Amino acid sequence: MKGKLTRADQGDEHTLAGAYAMDAISAKDRDRFERHLAGCEECAQEIASLRETTALLGAAAAQPLPAGLKERVMAAAAMTRQQPPADEAEAGASARRGRARTKVGPWLRSLAWPRRLALAAGGAVAAAALAVAVVFGVSNSSMQQQINQAQASSQQIAVVLTARDAHMTTETVAGGGTATIVMSHARHALVFTAQGLRALPASRGYELWLIGPDGTRSAGMLPAGHHGMTGPVIASGLRSGDHLALTDEPADGSAHPTTSMMLDVVL
Amino acid sequence: MTATGGQEPWNPARPAPTAGPRPSPRAAASTGSDLAAQIGLVARGDAAAFDAVFEQLGPSVFGVVKRVIRDPAQSEEVTQEVLLEVWRTAAKFDAGRGSATAWVMTLAHRRAVDRVRSVQKQSERERRIAAPDIPYDEVIEAVESSFERERVRRCLNSLTEVQRESVTLAYYRGYTYGQVASLLGVPTGTVKTRMRDALIRLRDCLGVPQ
Repeated sequence: MKGKLTRADQGDEHTLAGAYAMDAISAKDRDRFERHLAGCEECAQEIASLRETTALLGAAAAQPLPAGLKERVMAAAAMTRQQPPADEAEAGASARRGRARTKVGPWLRSLAWPRRLALAAGGAVAAAALAVAVVFGVSNSSMQQQINQAQASSQQIAVVLTARDAHMTTETVAGGGTATIVMSHARHALVFTAQGLRALPASRGYELWLIGPDGTRSAGMLPAGHHGMTGPVIASGLRSGDHLALTDEPADGSAHPTTSMMLDVVL
Repeated sequence: MTATGGQEPWNPARPAPTAGPRPSPRAAASTGSDLAAQIGLVARGDAAAFDAVFEQLGPSVFGVVKRVIRDPAQSEEVTQEVLLEVWRTAAKFDAGRGSATAWVMTLAHRRAVDRVRSVQKQSERERRIAAPDIPYDEVIEAVESSFERERVRRCLNSLTEVQRESVTLAYYRGYTYGQVASLLGVPTGTVKTRMRDALIRLRDCLGVPQ
């Protein structure tokens, strides 16, 4: 260590406490200060008390929430996998030093995602089934499994579910079951889930269609149901005037609907 | 019943069932520990607890985010992100390191600041020319008065002008200390010091335990 210089540095670092507590520093300074904090318990305590203070400043600016915001977040939360807690078995001496801070920092920065990608954080897994379950008071653990499997489209699904114009509709499927559709015209996409669809032989499957003024497009095959729950699947390329339809088709899909529509929803 | 966003107007002014007639620091403290317990439940996936946290902190999150970002649509987005992050990372909350309110508000403020800075980078020069246009009075008076707000306002008033402006510009506007320094025409070292002094004074004035 370089005696004089280190002391001067530390003095300098410490005056950053106020700016740090108000996020009034650049990302570079933030990192530097967090390294400083990790080795200075007294500083960490000061920051904690200053953060309590700024929280009161923030609370003084409280405003009524816009209509619908809470519902959107509650629905999105129901579909968002939570981060696991720290593993007690692995928590060693290193856990003592500023764990929360050193982890939250990079994590927050990783969230400098594209606008509106509210759920796109690394590892965030979302699926519509659980939201539907929560909204309709259904719950079963198989849904969680489904959700865990839905990684590929989770990001797109999240975009739809957290869209400001997202809205949900539930329809009865001819032949049995209920479909729940969350759609966002702003995002040109919808999320489809179904419950209690009649089981089909292995050679057959359910195919979704978007039917508009310009013709009929396949929106893909539904995955096999699991404990009565099907989906979620995302259908993108939604245009105004589209209908959503569901038909029973050969397992590898058809180019056009070949059986009668079991569902026809005006979007 | 179909659920569509925005049909249930939510009343943030709903009084807590057991709250006394007037919030006191003690009441606030007990609310705080309730909140910490609620966050613990949220970490276990308890939607009702998340609802309770939402009711208590949602308006504060939205308020501070909107102060910093200003644009209502973006503020809503960031508020959603923050509250979803609370849900996602509730297990990381450590009650030994601070209150639930501070944890959530820190996430909120940081996220809001990150949002404006990413925009700011593109138009840094223009921003430098722009004068600070929002005195703290406006910040505080724009919202209806309440006991807590009154307290914050009183304590802000107890600061020196440079301290107060430093806090207002940094916290409510999301400026860096360097930007605050250039706006106020004082050296960065001075601003850093004033910011820390100001927060310490506010902390003591607001009765925040050290």
